[in-house]
Amino acid sequence: MRKDSETLALCDRFFDAIEKGDYETLESCYAPEAVVWHSHDCLYESRASNLAMLKHGMETLPKMRFRDRRVRVFEGGFVQQHTMHVTRENGFEGTMDVCFVGYVRDGMISRAYEYFDTGQVEKFLGPR
Amino acid sequence: MTTEYEIRELCERFFDAYENKRADILDELYSDDCIVWHNVFGKDTTREDNLAAMRVDKGQRRRTYNDRVINVFHDGFVIQYSLNGVMHDGHVGPALWICIVGKVRAGKITRIDEYMDSSKFPAWSGRDRK
Repeated sequence: MRKDSETLALCDRFFDAIEKGDYETLESCYAPEAVVWHSHDCLYESRASNLAMLKHGMETLPKMRFRDRRVRVFEGGFVQQHTMHVTRENGFEGTMDVCFVGYVRDGMISRAYEYFDTGQVEKFLGPR
Repeated sequence: MTTEYEIRELCERFFDAYENKRADILDELYSDDCIVWHNVFGKDTTREDNLAAMRVDKGQRRRTYNDRVINVFHDGFVIQYSLNGVMHDGHVGPALWICIVGKVRAGKITRIDEYMDSSKFPAWSGRDRK
């Protein structure tokens, strides 16, 4: 049974939590068995590892924003396209176009797939 | 109004056409104002650009669009898939894993947004060996 508004709310809650540095809310969006796959290594990352990475980013990066969010809900999940803007300590604002496909179980993200282009990593990380 | 079943079928036809290099079918599936966007280039291209690019030999003997996972919503679809290629010299590299979000209106595709990782291109094509 689809509950599109709940899935949309979950999607917003997840990305808003990262922007606000609200780790507790972020963690509550992931189901206990959650795994996150990334297109650069084609591997599934564990819930704990992904949360640790996000927490580190939330604590160390001055600002993270998900702009131009375009969300569509389907049976069992959602897809969000956005441009990630990351402000780094040296003031550089990195950007990356991302497509995030989230599969949802009992109101939580149980599996996610993130697609982006590491061939444009300089745009995201800035001069090194 | 296009039903979700029809959108799913449209998505399959789109990829079958690509696999079989049938630009004539793609021409029918795209709306007149269809836009194709690639994250690798970061800009909108027209349906004409896209159809012309498809007719260019990209160095592969065969391309297959595998592991298709399609999810459908009221005005479009998202497909996650792997693209396997056999180059003219027989090279078979690791697959490219790609995600496309397609928008649909009146049974035609009006927009394609494609997300792939360009850092994988050299291994895919065999250019990294040369």
